[in-house]
Amino acid sequence: MRVTKKVGAHRLASGAAVMALVAGGLAWSAGGIASASSKITITAAYAANTTFDTTPLGFTWWHKVAQEFDSKYPNYTVKLVPVDGGEPDFLTKLALLYHSSSTAPTIAQFPSSEIALYASTGYLMPMNSLLKGSAWFSQFPTVIQKEGNISGKIYAVSAGENNNGIYYDKAILQKAGISLPWQPKNWQDIITAAKAIKKAEPKVIPLWLDAGTSAGPAGAEYGIMNLLMGSSNPTIETSSGKMVVSSPGLLQTLNFYHEVFADGLGAPTSQLFSPNNAPNIPSADFAKGTLGIAVAANFIGGNWTKQVSFPYWKASSTAMGVAGLPAASGNGYASILSGWDYGISSGATSAQATAAIDFLNIAQDSTNLIDAANWAGWVPPVKSDWTVPLYTSFDAPFAEEFGKVLPYSSEIPSNANFSVWVQGIEQASGAIAEKPSTTGAQAEQQMSSFITNDLGSSAVATLK
Amino acid sequence: MSTVSLDAATAPPVAQLWKTRRDKERFQWSSLALMTPAFALLIVLFLIPMGYAIYLGLTNLTLVGPTAVKWGFTGTQNLDRLKGDTEFWNSLQITAVFIVGSIVGVIVVGYGLATLLMRARAWMRIVVGGIVVIAWMMPAVTAGMTWYAATTGGGTFATLTGLKNSNFLDAQPLLIVTLANIWSMTGFAMLVLGAGLRNIPGEAIEAAIVENASAWQRFRKIVLPLMRPTIIAVVLLVALLSLANFSLIYIMTQGGPGTATNILPLYSYQQAFSFNNLAYGALIGNVMVLIATIFGVLYVRIAGRR
Repeated sequence: MRVTKKVGAHRLASGAAVMALVAGGLAWSAGGIASASSKITITAAYAANTTFDTTPLGFTWWHKVAQEFDSKYPNYTVKLVPVDGGEPDFLTKLALLYHSSSTAPTIAQFPSSEIALYASTGYLMPMNSLLKGSAWFSQFPTVIQKEGNISGKIYAVSAGENNNGIYYDKAILQKAGISLPWQPKNWQDIITAAKAIKKAEPKVIPLWLDAGTSAGPAGAEYGIMNLLMGSSNPTIETSSGKMVVSSPGLLQTLNFYHEVFADGLGAPTSQLFSPNNAPNIPSADFAKGTLGIAVAANFIGGNWTKQVSFPYWKASSTAMGVAGLPAASGNGYASILSGWDYGISSGATSAQATAAIDFLNIAQDSTNLIDAANWAGWVPPVKSDWTVPLYTSFDAPFAEEFGKVLPYSSEIPSNANFSVWVQGIEQASGAIAEKPSTTGAQAEQQMSSFITNDLGSSAVATLK
Repeated sequence: MSTVSLDAATAPPVAQLWKTRRDKERFQWSSLALMTPAFALLIVLFLIPMGYAIYLGLTNLTLVGPTAVKWGFTGTQNLDRLKGDTEFWNSLQITAVFIVGSIVGVIVVGYGLATLLMRARAWMRIVVGGIVVIAWMMPAVTAGMTWYAATTGGGTFATLTGLKNSNFLDAQPLLIVTLANIWSMTGFAMLVLGAGLRNIPGEAIEAAIVENASAWQRFRKIVLPLMRPTIIAVVLLVALLSLANFSLIYIMTQGGPGTATNILPLYSYQQAFSFNNLAYGALIGNVMVLIATIFGVLYVRIAGRR
């Protein structure tokens, strides 16, 4: 039949085309395999939108390091795995990547609070032998070296650290009659200064203290946890791993919050509870001249640089002052230390692990480390970098000042129950900010109920 | 018309009569083969995932941590936890307020708009109806952002009321997210209720007017009984849609301040992904499925009656 013949001809032609494509594909993939087999491929996962001050800066840094790695080691190649979203989204997606050996990244960069959790899951490889003789790791201060050390095994190494302190607007403080440079000796000095600002400049927000849950764990890390570190008892986790839900330190911290918000010294809840990047709001308020004092992270200074422009504020270096956050009673400084770390997957082959440490050697060389610190708003973990002009001149004078107070900082506990605890303390601070008549004791009770309800009474502790 | 003889001598046995009756539903084995694809889809896409979700809810699976890898069945442990979980019961209560508030608001506003638009000029019907329907078609992300911008400090509400420093969203979070939900669903209710209103026979209303019935009497005695099935259908659908409305609240408040707007879908997400308790989050999800099933069964039964 004519029609059949036509179909048959079509089929024949199609078949030939498919065969040709398959043959071509096989030839191509064979070539691919041949060239790939000579290279060791590693993957590196990172937060595309949250770690660096801007997404393009993160993109530039990671691709620069990847290019240097590929050029220096022709037998290796790195495939970057940028993970989109805010920090909570990133953590969820990274955890899901680890769920399958085919997607688990050889190297991942994640917050230091996750190290114990990932290590206990078996996702991370101990790096002790790989770090032997490492020039950069040996220069980390002890507190940062211990960040990824669990029972003597090093599961992660720091990429950079965030610590916190006090920023203040010099002109506003001067109008309030406060002499400069200002260094409060205790928490009462902060209250006194905030009250003076409120009196002299009623339209200005006297004191920024992060509160509430909208920023995720970061809100507490850049806010209330710093004050807790300077309280009479800063314990978050007992030696037996229980989360502290009531202590003299917690009560003292929440009472301080109560005093600030009851006196109308804190920021409005529209800013504090904003899901739109609340920890960065002080940088915009300072630039507008509407904020007097802020307890905030070291990256705020970097926000005013031209590269970050959040917003660009050329005069910030002279208009703004920084000070260490004093302990409640004036006994030194206090800050929480929250770093980002690199871990190597436990599923990596020995060749991949070697390639991974070679990748880290490039990522952690002085220039790349300082670039990352500048662009992500970190204090570099290598002590000698704190005085290098590339670092100190980027957001002078802030970077250098935050480097100075870093030794006073304390690490976030790396505990599986930390996410619940941090939600509890943020609810307590949020309750006070929302309803300033809430006392410290009431907020502590609320926090205790929430955490105990979720973790169970056997996982929490009350300290006297 | 065929008849069955009652003559005892010629009549077939009763059992045979039963077999040959044509007014009874008959089962044909061949129908099984025809229904297989639908059954297979139902099993693969619904029953197996649902069964697995129920099983997950009774395990100790976590997102990260030792039991992310080595996890197993833990019996009623999560159910026991759920019973004593005050946050869960609080969340359930918030969900109930959110759903009931949404239903009342959507029905009242949707019915009001449908009635008014029936009497409005054609151009007005097109413009107002169009705007309301656009609000309904708007993605939850856009609706959430719009309402967040309008109700937060310095937003549209604060400007319009002259209370520039007022933050309506933080002052009355549950009320505001419920209003946002009502706003986004009113278009749907307006369309369905409007269609129902147009189906009410004009003669019935005219007869009531001739009998001197007041507007309220006409509404109570004629409109409401005739609209009852439509209203119930809207109520159930709004309940189902509100129960699943994660995005709107997540964008506006993330369940806060505190736990003020933490409805069940948000609490399930928080447990599964913020606190890493995948199994417990799955169990809370199962509770939501149970509630949705109750609404669904009610809807199917009422729709069937119509």
